Amino acid sequence: MSNVNISKLKGIVGDAYVIDSPSEMAKYLKGQGKPAVVVLPASTSEVSSIVKLANEKNVKLGVGGVVVDTQGITGGIAMVMSRMNRILEMDHLNLVAVVEPGLLHKEFLLKVAEAGLNFPPEPYVVETSSVGGCFAIGDSDSKSFEYGPTRTFLLGFEMVLPTGEILEIGNKCIKNVSGLDFIHFAVGSQGTFGIFTKLLVKLLPVPEAKKAVIGTFPSMHKANATFNTLIKRNVHPTRMNLINASLAKIAKPETEGQLVIIDLQGFKESGKNIANEVASVLTLGGGSDVKIIEEGAEYDQMINGWLKVRAELNAKPERIVEFVVGPMKMPQALAQLEALTGDLGAYPGIIVEGLLGYVCLALPEGTDKLVLATKVNKLAMSLGGNVKGLLGHKLKAEVYNDAEMWKQTTSLLSELRQQFDPKGILNPGVSLEA
Amino acid sequence: MLSQAVVKRLKEIVGERNVVTDKVGLLTYGYDGTLLSGEALGVVSPQTTEQVVEIVKLMNEHDIKLVPRGAGTNESGGTIPSEKSVVISFTKMTKIHEIDTENFVAVVEPGVINFDLQVELAKKNFYFPPDPSSFKASTIGGNLGECSGGPKCFKYGVTRDYMLGLEVVLPNGKVIQTGGRNFQSEPGYDLTRIIVGSEGILGLVTKVFVRILPIPRAKKTMLALYDKVEDASQTVADIVAAGIIPTTLELMDNLLINTTEDFTHAGLPRDAGAVLIIEVDGYPEDMDGQVKTIGEIASKIAKEFKVAQTAVEVDQIWTSRRSAFGSVARVRPSYGVNDITVPRSNFPKAIEGVLKVAKDFGVTIGVVAHAGDGNLHPLILFDQRNKEETETVHAAEQALCMMALDLDGTISGEHGIGLVKKKYLDKEFTPAAMEAFRKIKRSFDPSNRFNPGKIIDL
Repeated sequence: MSNVNISKLKGIVGDAYVIDSPSEMAKYLKGQGKPAVVVLPASTSEVSSIVKLANEKNVKLGVGGVVVDTQGITGGIAMVMSRMNRILEMDHLNLVAVVEPGLLHKEFLLKVAEAGLNFPPEPYVVETSSVGGCFAIGDSDSKSFEYGPTRTFLLGFEMVLPTGEILEIGNKCIKNVSGLDFIHFAVGSQGTFGIFTKLLVKLLPVPEAKKAVIGTFPSMHKANATFNTLIKRNVHPTRMNLINASLAKIAKPETEGQLVIIDLQGFKESGKNIANEVASVLTLGGGSDVKIIEEGAEYDQMINGWLKVRAELNAKPERIVEFVVGPMKMPQALAQLEALTGDLGAYPGIIVEGLLGYVCLALPEGTDKLVLATKVNKLAMSLGGNVKGLLGHKLKAEVYNDAEMWKQTTSLLSELRQQFDPKGILNPGVSLEA
Repeated sequence: MLSQAVVKRLKEIVGERNVVTDKVGLLTYGYDGTLLSGEALGVVSPQTTEQVVEIVKLMNEHDIKLVPRGAGTNESGGTIPSEKSVVISFTKMTKIHEIDTENFVAVVEPGVINFDLQVELAKKNFYFPPDPSSFKASTIGGNLGECSGGPKCFKYGVTRDYMLGLEVVLPNGKVIQTGGRNFQSEPGYDLTRIIVGSEGILGLVTKVFVRILPIPRAKKTMLALYDKVEDASQTVADIVAAGIIPTTLELMDNLLINTTEDFTHAGLPRDAGAVLIIEVDGYPEDMDGQVKTIGEIASKIAKEFKVAQTAVEVDQIWTSRRSAFGSVARVRPSYGVNDITVPRSNFPKAIEGVLKVAKDFGVTIGVVAHAGDGNLHPLILFDQRNKEETETVHAAEQALCMMALDLDGTISGEHGIGLVKKKYLDKEFTPAAMEAFRKIKRSFDPSNRFNPGKIIDL
């Protein structure tokens, strides 16, 4: 029996935006949970009223931009933010935008480009990611070496807290250290502190020139070796990415072998020289079909190819293992990894973000994620890294044999969560225990 | 007074010489870069994380608060001892554990002086971008605590952008690690970010993983001179509109031009209304184009524009800027540094606002500004021994803060809140935001043991 009061919800957002027939709800949901209702608010005050209602009746509430993860919200409310999709302001003088959370990340990128500006963070999953989701997940990506991780681009927000209260914070100043830094702390909190209803986003001028250099390689090791050469030569491209043969065709149809994509965003003069230098390094390193892409449409196509690969992996977070090592330690990492995975090229999916020292593995059917992650973490730790995020911390504490540190960390995380959401109603599917 | 038993125990933990309890010794730890002062019960200087843990446990047993301190150069009162507290000084934790240029990471103890790290990094042709003007004295731990800025923020961001991971002793004496050696290691919540800029009220940092970068291959330093400050701010707006991101856009007004000239003899014309220091960095082949564009923009309105031709000229320019705060002491014995920031588009209005405050309160104000960031440091000159004048100065400082907030800005761009600006914090933040700060403080430090009374009260 659900405590959800459908008629009250209809009173808040209007009949048309409360959906409780399972067949109609399906397109807004993913996962195994069975929420009682999908609701689509159009304003901050509607979000606030819905959350107040949920909080009063102890109803679980999950939030998503286009699609809501239903884990933990059986019998509860799935809130879809897609109607709150406006750009409220595009401020050229201050290089900022005010955006509603339900705007698709890819739509936002288009609008920003039309305005002659640049929003560096990559969409998590191209087709469905929203701007709100971008900051709720708050990841880094293959451009972070140059531009910084996602949080760098948030200057403030409006948020509905788990009690329904509305919190506004931040301003258009690019330098602001007033108070505690809740602005950046909220990035990556996955909707456990509250629901973003407005985002004050930092933008940059568009780079003067964009170019890409691509090439294919017979092995992951050979391809990766060229990255080390570039770093040694003090060349730091915007992206320096490698996709194994199994995934490469998604990025670029008919690719044979492992695909290297080097993205160069910057100035015209240096761009020309660096592109030539990169192309030589790739060719000398054993790359074939090495090509400098200068033409805009072809460049966009290549980058979109990369984003498709990224989306493919991010769409199934439970089936990937991500780890980081020192960028120059990547050759050892890949060699040791091969002992665990077999031929890297034939593995279901491997990507390397060279400047970040980041690797993402798409697991084959039947692989036990935790078992593999544990082995991978040991490998990574010996090379100055670890498995990513919360899981990585747990595994690190295991390696240190420091159960107390893990206990301290998780109890701090849950205390923080509870301070903001005493009843535990908001996004209960998000686990802070790995 | 600390009991003999506690003093004895402290000396056992950190060694005889690393505990200060005498009156004169305590006095020297009672000050920072502000006009405030306080007196601690004792000062203790640990050398290891284990010692920090022991100190925290001991203080908890005796219900004594801890106030962390680096070099004490802050402008917020963040290290002023509060009642019934012991100062924990990190100046003896000065090891640089590791500089790993291949992987863009350095691992340091909190007491390492920013400049000392820069010197070591420079040997490997690397650097740590945050370099507040105090960098010759201030520590990495202090920079972290206040989330310091500096002249390079327009392109490179502030301290928080270069913190990859921390080792932290929590108020309950337990040790955790936040983040790691890369961007991807935060455990669920971005704990590193909430500790950076928290002025020691959440935890004591005992190890810092910082991001380091190769020194850019090329750099160009330019100087533009103006009749009026307003003209300089026009150049700033035009440069940004042209899509150029300089590392630096530093502004000094006529007063500062003169006080720094008295000291450096750099040759700045004393009758100029304002000077703008502009710096770009990157690949050598991109420099000429940017310098040309900036030159064209600046020359539309500046009375003089020049490009530094030699390293000596560059040094001279920077010596003027870096000595700006100290140089005003020649005019009056005391100065109050303010740290307001406004959205870039409101920068000209903020300059007007500063002039108005100077006039309304009858005080002398010089302006140094990171103009690209909209970050102004109005320096109010006065004599602290004159009580009445001091009161007026405080009123003027408040007026400056309120002016910044009226222009949709903030009361702290890079110096922090500490004690000095705590009283204005609820003018900038709504009750919900203030409560969010308290929720965070309560989660880390429910008994209010670490640096109590700074930023917020529980």
